[in-house]
Amino acid sequence: MDVNLSSEDLAFQQEVRDFLQNNAHDPKTDYAQWRLNWFELAKAKGGWDVPKWPEAFGGPGWSPTQHYIWEKETAVAQTPWDLPFGLSMLAPVLMNYGNEEQQQRFLPDIRARKVNWCQGYSEPNAGSDLANLKTKAELSEDGTYYTVNGSKIWTTLAHIADWIFCLTRTSDTGKKQEGITFLLIPMHQEGIEVKPIITLGGAHSVNMVHLTDVKVPVENLVGEEGKGWGYAKGLLAHERTGLAGISRSLVALDHLRIQASGVKRGNATLLDDPAYKSKLAELEIDLLATEFTELRSLASAANGAEPGPESSILKLKGTEIQQRIQKLTVEAGGIYSAAWGKQPVGHSFAKGGMAGYLSSRAYTIYGGASEVQKDVVAKNVLGLKKAK
Amino acid sequence: MNFDLSEEQQLLKDSVERFVNDNYDLDSRQSLSKNASGFSDTYWQTMAELGWLGVTVPEAHGGFGGNQADTMVLMEAFGKGLVLEPFFASAVLGTRAIVAGANSDTQTALLPELIAGSCRLSLAYAEEQSRFDLEDVITRATAADGGYIINGHKSMVQHGGSADRLVVSARTSGGQRDVNGISLFLVDTKAEGVKVQSFPTVDGQQAAEVSFDNVAVTESDLLGQLDNGFGLLQDIAIDGILALAAEAVGAMEILYKDTVAYTQEREQFDHSLSDFQVLQHRMVDMFMEYEQCKSLLYRATLEVVQNGREAIRIVHALKYMVGKVGTFIGENAVQLHGGMGMTEELRIGHYFKRLLVIDAQFGNSDHHLHCFAG
Repeated sequence: MDVNLSSEDLAFQQEVRDFLQNNAHDPKTDYAQWRLNWFELAKAKGGWDVPKWPEAFGGPGWSPTQHYIWEKETAVAQTPWDLPFGLSMLAPVLMNYGNEEQQQRFLPDIRARKVNWCQGYSEPNAGSDLANLKTKAELSEDGTYYTVNGSKIWTTLAHIADWIFCLTRTSDTGKKQEGITFLLIPMHQEGIEVKPIITLGGAHSVNMVHLTDVKVPVENLVGEEGKGWGYAKGLLAHERTGLAGISRSLVALDHLRIQASGVKRGNATLLDDPAYKSKLAELEIDLLATEFTELRSLASAANGAEPGPESSILKLKGTEIQQRIQKLTVEAGGIYSAAWGKQPVGHSFAKGGMAGYLSSRAYTIYGGASEVQKDVVAKNVLGLKKAK
Repeated sequence: MNFDLSEEQQLLKDSVERFVNDNYDLDSRQSLSKNASGFSDTYWQTMAELGWLGVTVPEAHGGFGGNQADTMVLMEAFGKGLVLEPFFASAVLGTRAIVAGANSDTQTALLPELIAGSCRLSLAYAEEQSRFDLEDVITRATAADGGYIINGHKSMVQHGGSADRLVVSARTSGGQRDVNGISLFLVDTKAEGVKVQSFPTVDGQQAAEVSFDNVAVTESDLLGQLDNGFGLLQDIAIDGILALAAEAVGAMEILYKDTVAYTQEREQFDHSLSDFQVLQHRMVDMFMEYEQCKSLLYRATLEVVQNGREAIRIVHALKYMVGKVGTFIGENAVQLHGGMGMTEELRIGHYFKRLLVIDAQFGNSDHHLHCFAG
């Protein structure tokens, strides 16, 4: 065991820093153009545009330490916005279970950030109990297409998506987990209706998606019919690891300190308040531990293991930490956190704070609610029988 | 010992609960909050007609002659309906200032208007640097021509945009954080030099930033004694905290009961959610914390009724607990409702938001824990 970076790692760290610094966005230039260009440049570095993809698919083949360095550096630097749906969630499924034609058809556009994907998993009656899903896909008599009917809910950014990867039911016999089929469906077609759901932060990011007699050619079936649950399960583990957001939380904690130092309390600031200071310290301690839990998880992944049960620990701890940071932002805003609407009032960060806090309440619900994550740990790690 | 409501209080409770049940379903409430004033003038008039606006006004001035316990009955019911009308700003905060601080001419003129609802008040005490400290006051009032000139800025004035007059804390002597040297003034919002900028708050209510630029007031606009207004300000804040706590307890009741009902309806893994022990225990915790808040609310209210400002320590305890428990119950109500709890469509999110705002009003839980510990 060694926590120091080797000279090679230090050189890599410098290379990453140089890259990020040299390619930061110049506010005088067009953002969208810069964004696409940034990914091109990152690609030219040897797969830096797809850090988590395997080498065989153009990824950089980094060691866990290199991944760690990348996460740390990109959390503080300005990088273009990116969406996980195609890149981190669908791509691994296509690589593992898709056929070569599908890989060639979809992966390049995902990599170039040209096509937006969304995830069609949850349904009104299939939330924590995802396997309960009922969206029906029926194969045509000639075996050339499926007809899909049903509703998906909490579909993030469905309103800007070009495609949806969908779990559908092709059979009702046997266990609930059987008979689930993984389909790729274009969003821009008749029979697909997207209805916005406004959440507590006032934002529109999730949707209800209704599918009515949507025709999907069999070429868009991933893997085998009825085996979709197994593919999705692997994907959920990837999703969970990505949701921990440790590096971003470390940066957010620094921001929080800066904000608190600007909040006056008599002759001192909120940062001198013993109760507030203790809460920041507790957060930092949890982050110090969770950062290493993530590193240990990365290290085992480097030995070829799929993200395992430790991804549940990371999701649990990581999302809790994110929520606590949001709560402390609200507390720092004091009375001004209650302000809403467009007009600026009080401390500049205060208003966004409440919206952020409210949105953060979803972190322990989506991607598998915390209660379900704990069931996973109890069953798969501790080897406990299902509780009554 | 007796925790039962008096016959009069029971009648009050029945009538306010009927009002809430008849008028305050979520859809009606949400559309009312989109009004320019942020509430219903009709309901405001109803409140006047039912005598609620004069609940703490002495009978000699035509009021109900009640105390903080009567206000508690009203506010708890308002909390169950997330009532929008500025009862708290005007009939609790403002009215206390007039009843306890105004000279008899002002009382004779103003109290009937307050009871009738034709004049609305609010309290302007917070400033950007003051955070939760009532005594931290920069806004200044200087003596001039038999009156005072006020200059300064006040933040987050509840329903400031629809208030006719404001009770304003200002420094007449001493340094920024001195308890002595604070005076309270009654200021007309239409007076020259007063600028009111209204905006919505996260709970669907309204607040305002108010600035005072050489605003002239007369000697009779002084509430309480010159330089010794802090005690009165504290009394107003104590009444405010008790009222907010009662409202919060009402909101908490809805949240835990809605959660118990929802988890019984919602099925996952071939069971009602309420069959899962981990969720049952969570709901038991929500229920217990709600009951604890209610106990402390009764305790603080009764002690204040008896001992006034002397009972401030228990008021700190109450506000601490309300903030902490409100967050706990709100967060868990959302968590146990899952994704649905995150939507604007269900009412629980709205109750949660109100509890969050209550925590930020008159000092959050950290602040009051610190005050309690001394």
